[in-house]
Amino acid sequence: MSLYLQPRQSGAAPTPYERKLAGAIEEVFGTGVHHLEGLVKGLNALGIHSPGGEAWTTDTFTDEIRRMGA
Amino acid sequence: MVNRLRKAALTGDEIFATGMRDQWHAVCPSDFVARGDMKKIRRLGEDWLLFRQSDGTLRMLADRCPHRGAPLSQGQHLGDRVACQYHGVQVDGGGTVVSVPGMPGCNLEGKRLVTSLPVREVAGAVLAWFGTDPDAEPAPLELPERLTDEGISHFLCYAEWKAPWRFTLENLLDPMHGAFLHRESHSMFGGETSAKFRIRETDRGFFFEKTDQRGVNFDWVEFCRTGIDWVDLEIPYPPTAGPGGSFGIVGMGTPIDAETTAVFFWRYRRVEGWERDVWRFLYRTKLEERHWVVLEQDRTMLEAMAFDADQAENLYQHDLGVIRLRRLYRAQAEAQAKSLQEA
Repeated sequence: MSLYLQPRQSGAAPTPYERKLAGAIEEVFGTGVHHLEGLVKGLNALGIHSPGGEAWTTDTFTDEIRRMGA
Repeated sequence: MVNRLRKAALTGDEIFATGMRDQWHAVCPSDFVARGDMKKIRRLGEDWLLFRQSDGTLRMLADRCPHRGAPLSQGQHLGDRVACQYHGVQVDGGGTVVSVPGMPGCNLEGKRLVTSLPVREVAGAVLAWFGTDPDAEPAPLELPERLTDEGISHFLCYAEWKAPWRFTLENLLDPMHGAFLHRESHSMFGGETSAKFRIRETDRGFFFEKTDQRGVNFDWVEFCRTGIDWVDLEIPYPPTAGPGGSFGIVGMGTPIDAETTAVFFWRYRRVEGWERDVWRFLYRTKLEERHWVVLEQDRTMLEAMAFDADQAENLYQHDLGVIRLRRLYRAQAEAQAKSLQEA
C-alpha cells in the first residue's frame, strides 16, 4: 500500500511573481508592521509592485490579494 | 434465506488496535472521490468502497459483493449504483441489491445486504459513522467549532503515516515534544524546555496544558469527544506571518489498520477581510511548506518507534495527558468488546 504524503495540498504551485510578492510581504511583516497601510507602503518601498507594474494602493492590494488568496 | 458476513466479535485488544467503534471518524479528503468516481479505501482494518453518485452524493459501502464476496471496488460505476465486475450484481448506495442480471427476479433483489456507512462531508473531509450495528442510527455529531466559525479560515492537510493511530493521538496530547522535536522549526523555537502541566476537565473532554507558559510554543491542547474524537491546539507564528496571532490545529487520527493511520490537520487562523486573504496567500506560497517540514519531524519519529514502544516506558508528569487518553480508550475498547460478545 502506498501511503499518501503530498506536501502541497492547498492548490497549484505559486508562480515566480507570487513567490517574490510573498517574500516581500514576509519581510514587511517581519519588521512588526501588521496593518494594511504599512504593508502597502512597505511593499512599494521595496519596489515590489502590482502585476501591472504600478505602485500599490490599499485598494489595488486588497483586490489582488483577495484573488491570489482565494 | 441470505447470508451475511459474520465475523467473530472483536476483542478489546482488536478494537484498541484498529479503532473505536460507534463513533464518527474522518475518512479522507472529499476531493479524493470526484463525481462519478470510485475509490477503494481501508479504514479501521476493513476494506470499503467510496463512490460518488452522478448527483454528487457520496456513498461508502463494505467492499464485498453479497453474491460471491468479490470486491465491489473492481466493478463499474453506474451513476447511482455499482455493478460487480464478477457477475454483474448491482448494489445501490444504501447497500441494497437492485439487480441480478444473470438471474432476474432472484431472491437477492431488493435486499439490503451490503453495509453502507452514514457519511457527511465537512471542511473538505469525508466523515463516516462506524457503528457496530449496521442498522442502528448514528449518534449526533457536533463539529469542531473552529471548522464552522465563519470568522476562522482553515486549510486541511491530510497524510498517511506508518504508525499506530494511538501514537499519532498521543503525540498531540504531548505538547512538550514541541520544544524538543520541533525546536528547529518556524513556529516552535521559543519558550522553556521544562514545564509543569495540569489536566483541566471540560464537559466534552479535557485540556492538557502548561501551568507556567502560554502563547509561546505548543503550550496546551484540548481533547474533545463530540461524536467524533479530535484535538484543538494553538501554536504561535513568528511576526513574518502577519496579523491574526497564533494558528490553531484541529487534529484527528483515523486507523487505516493496526499499523497505519490517516492523519487530518486543519490549520486554522482567526482572520477576516484582507488579513484572511494575506494569510491564505502566504499559506499557499510559503507557510504550507514550513508546516509540512514540522509534520515530517513527527512522522519520522512516530514511524521509527517500535510497535510495542509503549510496553516498557518510564513516564513522568508531562505524560499525564497520554496516560489519560490511553485509559479512556482502553476502557472503551473493553466495554465495546463486552457488548459485542453479549449481542
